Amino acid sequence: MNQAPARFRRVTIAASLVLGAIIWQVAGWYTSNAFWAPLSATLASLAEVVRTGVLLRQAVSSFELYLAGLVVAVAVGAPLGLLLARVRWLRVALEDYILMLYATPMVALIPFILSIMGFGFAPKMLVVFLFAVFPVLYNTIEGARSVRPELVEVAKSFRSGEWRLWCDVLIPYTLPFTMTGVRQAIARGLVGMVAAEFFLSPSGLGQMIMMGSQNFDTAGMLAAILIIVLRGVGRMDLGRHLEGRFARWRSYSP
Amino acid sequence: MRATIETEGEPVTASGAAQPRIRISRAGMRYDAIEVFRDVDLEVGDREVVAIIGPSGCGKTTLLRCIDGLLPLTAGELRVEGEPVRGPREGVAMVFQHFGLFPWKTVAQNVAYGLKMAGQRPDAIAAKVAQCIKLVGLAGFEHYYPHQVSGGMQQRCGLARALAVEPRVLLMDEPFGAVDAQTREILQFELLKIWEMRPTTMVFVTHSIDEAVLMGDRIVVLKGRPSGVHEMVEVDLPRPRSRATLTLPRFAQLREHVWSTLMADAIAAEHEVRQ
Repeated sequence: MNQAPARFRRVTIAASLVLGAIIWQVAGWYTSNAFWAPLSATLASLAEVVRTGVLLRQAVSSFELYLAGLVVAVAVGAPLGLLLARVRWLRVALEDYILMLYATPMVALIPFILSIMGFGFAPKMLVVFLFAVFPVLYNTIEGARSVRPELVEVAKSFRSGEWRLWCDVLIPYTLPFTMTGVRQAIARGLVGMVAAEFFLSPSGLGQMIMMGSQNFDTAGMLAAILIIVLRGVGRMDLGRHLEGRFARWRSYSP
Repeated sequence: MRATIETEGEPVTASGAAQPRIRISRAGMRYDAIEVFRDVDLEVGDREVVAIIGPSGCGKTTLLRCIDGLLPLTAGELRVEGEPVRGPREGVAMVFQHFGLFPWKTVAQNVAYGLKMAGQRPDAIAAKVAQCIKLVGLAGFEHYYPHQVSGGMQQRCGLARALAVEPRVLLMDEPFGAVDAQTREILQFELLKIWEMRPTTMVFVTHSIDEAVLMGDRIVVLKGRPSGVHEMVEVDLPRPRSRATLTLPRFAQLREHVWSTLMADAIAAEHEVRQ
C-alpha cells in the first residue's frame, strides 16, 4: 500500500533534480561565463579545489567559526532564557532589548562590530553568535513561561525544592522549545557565518565566493555556493532530527 | 469505628485517644472579592475516609489544596497531625484530577518521583516503585510514557506515585473525573481494594454522589455562597466495600438522601436567570 506512493515520491524528486541539473548546464552554455557557469564547469572547479585541498581547508575554517558561534549561542541562550522566564524583574527589564535585537537585521551591526573589534576570529564569532542566539533565547523563554502550572503544583505537592523543580520540571519541559530555537539557530548561524566571512576579514567559504566573484571565476564561486547549500540542507536535517528527538511527548495533553 | 483493620501501629497521642489526622476549624478562603468558603469545621480521624461533595465552584478542590499545603487559608486554622499546615508536608500525598504526570518520564519514573523528592536511596526507590506498580495493576507498563497509555492507566500511575511515599493522609482531587465511565467504576473498586490493604486517612473530593457514598465513612456536603458545611452524612455501610455494596438498600437510601440535599440547589441554579 505505502510503497507505491513512496516510490513515486522518490522518482519525482530524482526527476526534478535531474531536470534542474540540465537547466543549469544548458543555461551555462548560453550565458556569458562572467555571470554563470555550466554545471560541468562548476563540478570541474569543485574537483580542482578538492584536489588541491583548498576546499577542505576553507570548509574547516568556516566550520570552526560556525560551530564556535553556535555553541556559545546555545550555551548562553538556553540558560539565560530559563532565567528570564523564572525571574520576573529581570525579564521585564530586558524584554524590550531582546525584542529590539531580535528584530534587528544583524548585518546592520557588522560595520559597528568591525569598528570596535577589528578583524580576527572573535568579531566573526560574535556575528555568528548574534545571528544564532536570539531564536534560542526567544524560544526558551516562551517554552519556560508556558510550563503547565499543574506540573509545578505536582512538584510543590511532592515537596520539590527550587533546584529540583528546575531539573525535573522546567528544563525537561522547555527542552523541546529550546530545540526549535536551535533548529532556527542552525540556519541563521549559517547566514551569520557567510556574512562574517564577507564583511569582516575574508576567510573560509565566504572568501572563496568573494574571490571567485572578483576574479570572474564563476565556476569557482558556484562551487563554493553549492557546498554552502549542501551544508545548510544537511544541518536543517540535523536540526529537525534534534527537535524531534526531544519533542516526542509534546503531543501529550492530559 | 472499624475494628477489622490491624496494620502497623499508628502513632497515638500520649493520652491514649487517637488525635484526628486533620483538624480544620473555622476555615475560610477568599480571593479578593470572592469568598469561596467560610467557617468550615472538619475533623478527619485516623484511617477515616471523608468524601467532600458539592456543586461546581463550591471550593472542594480549593479546600483540598489547602490541606495539602499548596494554598494558605485566608481565615481559620488547619492542622495535620497536630501541626499547623504551612506548606506541603511529609506524610501527605495528593492524587490529581489532571493526573499531573510528567510526560517526559516513564510510568516507573513518574511513580519514583515522590520518593526521589523525599531523598530516598535508589535501591529503596526501585523496590517501592515495583511494589506500587504491581499494587495498582500497572505491571508491564513500567517503561511506557504517559501519552502511550490510556487515561485509566495514567491515573493508576498517579495513584501509585502517591501511594509510593506511604502517605498517612491521601488527598484525592476528583481522581476519576477525567476518565470514562467504565474505567471510573473499575478504578473505584480497585481503590477500595487497595485501601483495604493499605488503609490511610483519605479525603476524597468528587462530583459523583455514588462515588461519595461508596468511598466515604462520612460525606461532607458543601453548599451555599460562600459555601459551608451544609450537612455531614454518616455512611454506615459495612467494609470491605465492593460491587455488592451498590446493591444494598442502605446504599440506595444514602444515595437518595445526598441526592435530594444536593439537587434541590442544583435544580434551582439551573432555573436561575443568567446575568
